[in-house]
Amino acid sequence: MTIRLEFFAVPGCSRCAQAKTALEKVVQDFDATKVQWREVDILQEMDYAIELGIVGASAMAIDGELVFPQLPGPQALRAELLNRLNRP
Amino acid sequence: MLTIGEIASRVGVSADTVRYYEKQGLLRPEKRSEGGYRLYGDNAIRRLQFIKQAQHCGFSLAEVAELLKLQGEPEARCDDVRHRAVAKKVELERKIRALQTMSAALNELIEVCQVQESRPLDFCPIVAALEAGLVAPAAPEEML
Repeated sequence: MTIRLEFFAVPGCSRCAQAKTALEKVVQDFDATKVQWREVDILQEMDYAIELGIVGASAMAIDGELVFPQLPGPQALRAELLNRLNRP
Repeated sequence: MLTIGEIASRVGVSADTVRYYEKQGLLRPEKRSEGGYRLYGDNAIRRLQFIKQAQHCGFSLAEVAELLKLQGEPEARCDDVRHRAVAKKVELERKIRALQTMSAALNELIEVCQVQESRPLDFCPIVAALEAGLVAPAAPEEML
């Protein structure tokens, strides 16, 4: 099973960039075949962002579901990934 | 210094609007005349224009207040405003889509009622469709 992570933000957002660096580090601790990372430019993929229910300028979805309406901290993301990977 | 009527006229709003903004904490007169009338300076004009333009872009007065507050914070950055602008755009795009859904629903209703305009209301297909719940509703969060 591969978890599909989608990081929603807009280019040029420095606070998003900081969060992204921290979150990517978490993802790097996992097997790359188990966790996929994709960056989504909200302005370029507005339809998809709205379809997921995004209401802010940054968010994170997992497997096509808006799990974090606001960007999570590294610990929260790690816990969520571990939880999903350990599911029977 | 400008009176409330003068400043309102310069920016293209009513004096009542200026008073309302003041009540909401968005604006303050620079001083009062001897007769107790509000007097405003150039800064108030810029502030009023800011409020007006921000509202034009869809920001609520509460959001405008946040933006104005940012202006006074030395650690605030362009990014903070841009972040809010993107969030506002997402909100507006969501509303646009909800309106499109509503418009499409109305098209369906109008279509079924084309040549029956002279029939009594009891036979109106639009009323019947609304009563029967045949129109696909917008999701609750999409309602405006």
